[in-house]
Amino acid sequence: MGNDSFAASMPSGANDKFTRREFVRGAAAFTASAIAGGDAIVAAKKNATAQVVTPSSDPQVPKRLLGKTGAEVSALGVGGYHLGSTKDQQEANQLVAKALDAGITFFDNAWDYHQGLSEERLGTALQGKRDQAFVMTKVCTHGRGKDVAMQMLEQSLRRLQTDHLDLWQIHEVIYYNDPDLIFRPGGAAEALLEAKKQGKVRFIGFTGHKDPAIHLRMLAHDFPFDTVQMPLNAFDATFRSFETQVVPEANKRGIAVLGMKSLGGSGEMVRHGAITAQEGLQYAMSLPVATTISGMDSIGVLEQNLEVARGFQPMSAADMQALRDRVRIYAADGRYELFKTSKKYDGDVGREQHHYPTPQKLPA
Amino acid sequence: MRPFGKHTDVRISILGMGGHHLGDAKDEPTAVALVREAVDGGITFFDNCWEYHRGKSEVLLGKGLKGHRASVFLMTKVCTHGRDGSLAMQMLEESLNRLQTDHLDLWQAHGVGFENDPGLFMRPGGAAEAMLKAKEQGKVRFLGFTGHKDPAIHLSMLNTDFPFDAVQMPLNAFDATFHSFQTQVLPELNRRGIAALGMKPMSGHGEPIQNGAVTAEEALRYAMSLPVATTITGMEKPDILRQNLRIAQNFQAMVASEMRALEDRVKDVAADGHFELYKVSLKFDNPEARMAHGFPLDMESEEVQEMVAAVQNTGHPYPEIPK
Repeated sequence: MGNDSFAASMPSGANDKFTRREFVRGAAAFTASAIAGGDAIVAAKKNATAQVVTPSSDPQVPKRLLGKTGAEVSALGVGGYHLGSTKDQQEANQLVAKALDAGITFFDNAWDYHQGLSEERLGTALQGKRDQAFVMTKVCTHGRGKDVAMQMLEQSLRRLQTDHLDLWQIHEVIYYNDPDLIFRPGGAAEALLEAKKQGKVRFIGFTGHKDPAIHLRMLAHDFPFDTVQMPLNAFDATFRSFETQVVPEANKRGIAVLGMKSLGGSGEMVRHGAITAQEGLQYAMSLPVATTISGMDSIGVLEQNLEVARGFQPMSAADMQALRDRVRIYAADGRYELFKTSKKYDGDVGREQHHYPTPQKLPA
Repeated sequence: MRPFGKHTDVRISILGMGGHHLGDAKDEPTAVALVREAVDGGITFFDNCWEYHRGKSEVLLGKGLKGHRASVFLMTKVCTHGRDGSLAMQMLEESLNRLQTDHLDLWQAHGVGFENDPGLFMRPGGAAEAMLKAKEQGKVRFLGFTGHKDPAIHLSMLNTDFPFDAVQMPLNAFDATFHSFQTQVLPELNRRGIAALGMKPMSGHGEPIQNGAVTAEEALRYAMSLPVATTITGMEKPDILRQNLRIAQNFQAMVASEMRALEDRVKDVAADGHFELYKVSLKFDNPEARMAHGFPLDMESEEVQEMVAAVQNTGHPYPEIPK
């Protein structure tokens, strides 16, 4: 409290040359630096690339039930955005192959990640291995109707080089009028049902990073969602919390919870020393979720995550509470979860479709 | 005039004069004249805050109310932001001194906007103790708190069961469907007999009015039609004061269907919160409050740069804004 703690806390702001533009375009680099730290990153990456062969004695990433669907997915999932940030297709191939070897089956993606590059990289990397993977992608209608959604589905399937998705989710449900737009006659919800009926997708869900109240409103429609994706981390537990408001409701309904942003999306919380990368991932994976999706743009980051995920043992309830309590003071103003508050993290296309001014036109 | 919550013997004007904008008046004579014209126009509720314009707002109001103190309901806010009760008592003496009075009608904890604020407020030696002491000493009649950020934080303040007489919050047609105080907090206040004080009827600085989403009259009438004791709005110019006085003097509450129609009309533009950035952007975290909490002012953040550039209400030096 008081001015002393203010003085002590100032340098963290001053030292960070971190802007939200970097967050959007290069979050991967921060995840890497969060784990490896400073100049060690480059060396770590080189080493990691050299040792792609995993000793067969290593335990696998465990599988979990995907809600009441009966399907099983790996407890750790590979995030699609960062897959598009790998340096080339070869690195993406290696990353996906290594993930599969370690027992990871869950692969996230979205129609609009890197203008389709993320889906293309995953499609190519999974050539001949499609059956081993649980492939999810997201549809980016942002309020537009069923027809747009069905066109996007065909494009996604083509880029992913497959005839079906294991999971298709509505992307970026983050505005208070989104549930109305999605469930209106001719809206995107109808596309989900249609695609399922046609056998093009096995399961359906939605995702968003903004507000637990909006997720709850989506769930209140009693639509047969199989999954729901949301930010889950130790900071979320005490700030506009998906963990306390949405997870219990999804669990009650047998809807599989997919966690994301275990390190806040940018890894800034790790770089500032508020939490370690290992603690962050461990916490997220210990929640009652089907999987935790983590962005990995290099073999090095995958390796770091695998150290936590192989043969994963959940944290005890007491350890989880101790961690929540420890980070509470950093969580209370939401600065490590700006995606819940600031407009800066809203996708431009989504804002445009909703007729909202772009973040650049807003007074911060 | 409306009753002040469960204290039905106390009545306050349905329109309240905001203290921050008083400090934005072009000079002292203008500010003093604004206060006098407000009193003459029937306004009895005057808002203020220890840290507005580094005390200038309280000084101006004190001058404007000279000779009228007995006929008004005077509120100011204490800016401990989680710090000790002893600091609150010092601030109270400064506020009384600047306002040229021996007592306040209402003293509120300012800017309750962080998830850990309720705990800090209630802790032993915290501001809650100071508030009770001030009331016991007869320096303040009623107690309350204010915040613009999050309905959930207001609810956890209420759940401390501290004997609040009043609670202040943003209430407007946009709030009705976005992160809503109206639907989450207002019914609870009404149930408990706590006076609800609405603020930001024009969303803070009138952005949706300039933008054409609503008219000033619609916005103010809507806010005043809610079950609140008063609606506080900033009026730094005579023409704005006169416009609002005219609306308040001729006030007819909107009927429910009229209110629903306005909510529906603005629902889509309300849905991302860009007209209510005080609920979401760091820009509206007062730097004084962040500093008192030990939260960093990360000068790389555009929101923080805007915040520091936009406010002038702290005694502390701010970091330089990078060009």
